[in-house]
Amino acid sequence: MAAAVAMLVALGAGFGMCYATSKAVEAVARQPEAASKIQTILLLGCALAESTAIYAFVVALILSAK
Amino acid sequence: MGTAELIKIGISAVVFALSLVGNTHFKGLLNNANKDENPKAFKKLKRKKTLCFSGVIISIWFAIGVFVAWFSGKKSGLHIEFSMFGERSGVELFGFNLSETTIITVVIVAIASVLCVIFRYLVFPKFTEEPKGIQNVMEICVEAVENFCITATDKKAGKSLAPYMFTVAIYLILSAATELFGLRAPTSDLAVTFSLGLITFFLLNYHGFKKLGFGGRLKSMGGAVPAMRPIMIPLKIVSDIAVPLSLACRLFGNMLGGMIVMELLKGALGGYAAGIPGVAGLYFNLFHPLIQAYIFITLSLTFIDEAMESPEEHKKEN
Repeated sequence: MAAAVAMLVALGAGFGMCYATSKAVEAVARQPEAASKIQTILLLGCALAESTAIYAFVVALILSAK
Repeated sequence: MGTAELIKIGISAVVFALSLVGNTHFKGLLNNANKDENPKAFKKLKRKKTLCFSGVIISIWFAIGVFVAWFSGKKSGLHIEFSMFGERSGVELFGFNLSETTIITVVIVAIASVLCVIFRYLVFPKFTEEPKGIQNVMEICVEAVENFCITATDKKAGKSLAPYMFTVAIYLILSAATELFGLRAPTSDLAVTFSLGLITFFLLNYHGFKKLGFGGRLKSMGGAVPAMRPIMIPLKIVSDIAVPLSLACRLFGNMLGGMIVMELLKGALGGYAAGIPGVAGLYFNLFHPLIQAYIFITLSLTFIDEAMESPEEHKKEN
């Protein structure tokens, strides 16, 4: 149960990543020539946003595996 | 072999025979039919042939599944077990009981070293001034990593970091590929990822102290406002200590997540898991680790660059 509650963090990470990706798509649509630069920044940002979900996952694992 | 298995095999054999006959029948019809004369009928025939062909494949897959399930005696179920660290293998070295992941790591390193030696003595002497073939590929890889490291940090540190980063990337990708052989990937062991994070931590401090010196490092940690320094320095130290932890947990969580999804897939399919997990494994064991290796390198370089930057340089840039 506690592990399931911990995984609620994934909601926040999902929203964060979707916001970052939508902004990146807008930016690429406006300036296609900067696509490679934006892609690098997007990957880094997504990795950082994803890390909260990963921490929640690790915490859930620690809680569920005894 | 029980009656249930016999019935299943009989059904798959009937489906196989029917669809094979249908396939050859429609193939003959297709060869005779003229495409321009009646395109609608031609399309219908083609669709029927595809249906029969998929029937052949599905019946073969089903029969293999029944055989494997009967042979291994395994039933499908969603029960999986995992631990944060690799299991003990029982091999002892200097009184330590080595874990499975250590042995897999040693095997990976041995394979990579043997490949390196083979390349050094068989491929390198054939290198020419104008690159072609395999030399081209290798030069592109090495140059890309070196340029990436140099743009992420400065020229001197980037050149010294590039070999290490390339090695880490190859290690991460190879270790994830061991999962394709049914072994547990070393990177889904918290100890391995944490040691990789610790290496980044040492590199970060080494380059930071080398470039700025002890006082300079403290100054750059404190920030521009002198009154804030007593608060800022402990905060920065804590965030530096968090670097290996966050790198380790990120890599570990990603790799273990992929492994759990694959285990669930195998468990859910049971004996019928012929071929299907391999397709999913291409994503979880080859493509995903590639992205994770890229992210690991990028984040390591970003942290190292952050440790090296001094307040004076900022003023100059502004």
